[in-house]
Amino acid sequence: MLTPYLAFAKKSFLNRSAYRFNHFMGILNTILRIFIFWGIYKALYGDRSEVDGITMTMVTTNFILSICLEAVFCVNDFYLPDRINSGSIANELLLPISFPGRMLADNLGNAVFKLIYHFVPALIVSVLIMGIQAPAGIPMLLLFILSALLGYGVLWTISFAVQMCSFWLINVWSIVTIKNVFVNVLSGSMIPLWFMPDWMSGVLELLPFSSIYFTPVQIYLGQLSYGEIAVKCAIQVVWIGVIYLIGTLLWEKGKRKLVVQGG
Amino acid sequence: MEQFIEVKHVSKSFKISKRAKGIPGTIANLLVPKYEKKQAVQDVSFSIAQGEMVGFIGPNGAGKSTTIKMLSGILYPDAGEIKVNGYIPYKQRREYVGSIGVVFGQKSQLQWDLPVIDSFELLKAIYRIPEATYRKNLNRFMEMLDMVEFINRPVRQLSLGQRMRADIVAALLHSPKIVFFDEPTIGVDVVGKEKIRSFIRELNAEDKVSMIFTTHDMQDIEKTCNRLIIIDKGAKIYDGSIFGIREKYGTTRQLDVEFSENYTVEPIQNVEVKELNELDGRKKRFIFENTQVQIDALMNHLLQNYGIRDINVSEPEIESIIGKIYAGEVC
Repeated sequence: MLTPYLAFAKKSFLNRSAYRFNHFMGILNTILRIFIFWGIYKALYGDRSEVDGITMTMVTTNFILSICLEAVFCVNDFYLPDRINSGSIANELLLPISFPGRMLADNLGNAVFKLIYHFVPALIVSVLIMGIQAPAGIPMLLLFILSALLGYGVLWTISFAVQMCSFWLINVWSIVTIKNVFVNVLSGSMIPLWFMPDWMSGVLELLPFSSIYFTPVQIYLGQLSYGEIAVKCAIQVVWIGVIYLIGTLLWEKGKRKLVVQGG
Repeated sequence: MEQFIEVKHVSKSFKISKRAKGIPGTIANLLVPKYEKKQAVQDVSFSIAQGEMVGFIGPNGAGKSTTIKMLSGILYPDAGEIKVNGYIPYKQRREYVGSIGVVFGQKSQLQWDLPVIDSFELLKAIYRIPEATYRKNLNRFMEMLDMVEFINRPVRQLSLGQRMRADIVAALLHSPKIVFFDEPTIGVDVVGKEKIRSFIRELNAEDKVSMIFTTHDMQDIEKTCNRLIIIDKGAKIYDGSIFGIREKYGTTRQLDVEFSENYTVEPIQNVEVKELNELDGRKKRFIFENTQVQIDALMNHLLQNYGIRDINVSEPEIESIIGKIYAGEVC
């Protein structure tokens, strides 16, 4: 049942390893970004040990984990748009497999590669230099992993739904960029939701974006009770379901409109 | 009796954005986009039996590829019905495409950076081809198409002819019941073309695979198919045998005559006379319709009135007939 998808995941894993220079630059980029955030927050904190009850260590832990997760969660937003533009979508549709499934398999192969060769080295370097708060116990660490997986699901489904717009728009670069701004700003990876006004963080917590990075980090730090974790994870699951449904509807409508370019 | 491939009154149109020229036009279009409807396929119907080999031809933009793409489940028709092997291609795409193979001459389905054999292995996983079938098919096709020398080379290093052969094998590994070839010999040299054609003939004869070809190379059709469907401007204009097309449209004959001296030939009714400017003007060409002029009468007339050294009758090449059909000269 899964054989074809595993084959695709494996292929994308192997393709990744073909571009070594690019890969090393990617790790460097992640570490640099972590350093920049470190510099900014060190300047902001000055010699205060905490702001609004949030310590510098907690903030550091948030951006190190968020940015390292971001490296793993790197979703190819142009998978479908590229194929529609080049017309190679025709070849993909000739394969007896689900196209969304193939998109996911491709991304997962990539994510596993990034987890091993990007996340781990970047995390080790950051932890050695800046230090990180330890997870709040083994159960919380496991729940962190579970929630991070769901966070990946949320991010992937958002990208999936956005990509489906390329059936109507030839160029989706603009909406992909808007999506990425939302993800970056509202997910709490740049500015933790702790520092947002209460009314705003209340809204943001319900939106899908904060459940990508911020929810797992909060669990890791032990800020949530088991009850709260259950609610947060339920929010993640609901968003995955809703956005996936929207994406699938767009896919079903879009493929009727498909125009194969060239030839 | 239900046919293997059944196409009934199928139409498909595309929306093309229409832009006025220049910057004012672009601005106007930004505010009020205008679209033009292009009818790619209009009310086309045909049916094909299992094991048949059909050539599907027409000028560029006639709707051939669109039809093939609808038949292979990629595009949805706007109207009409398609049924192939019991499936409705566009509705049951995933189940259906496992039983067909498609070769797009212009779009490779091989992995650019990987050796050919790796792409095949990937297809084996995608189509869930049993190991034994895969081995058997691969060995057989590799031998038939002479691929042993480049099977381990990355696709980007192959010549066009080699890549095309690899693409054909890729479309056949899962033993499809129907194969669509969309310009399979485009850009391939004479030897390569011949190899591909004889392979296709053999496969059809041995495995009873149904095949549909689109091509611009009439030799492809003449050497492989016995049935021809011609479409132009989205509509079917001919469906029948290759010989039928000669009978129907190829009524023009030409008679090249080498006279013993440079005569001035008296005009003959319904016959066009052309100077060939060869052999000091002793050679002339007589062009006529065999429906209007009896060839024996014409030859008798010439033999009785002039001294003749050589005479040669020819019927038109299928290619020139098709050319005339495209140009709208016959119909």
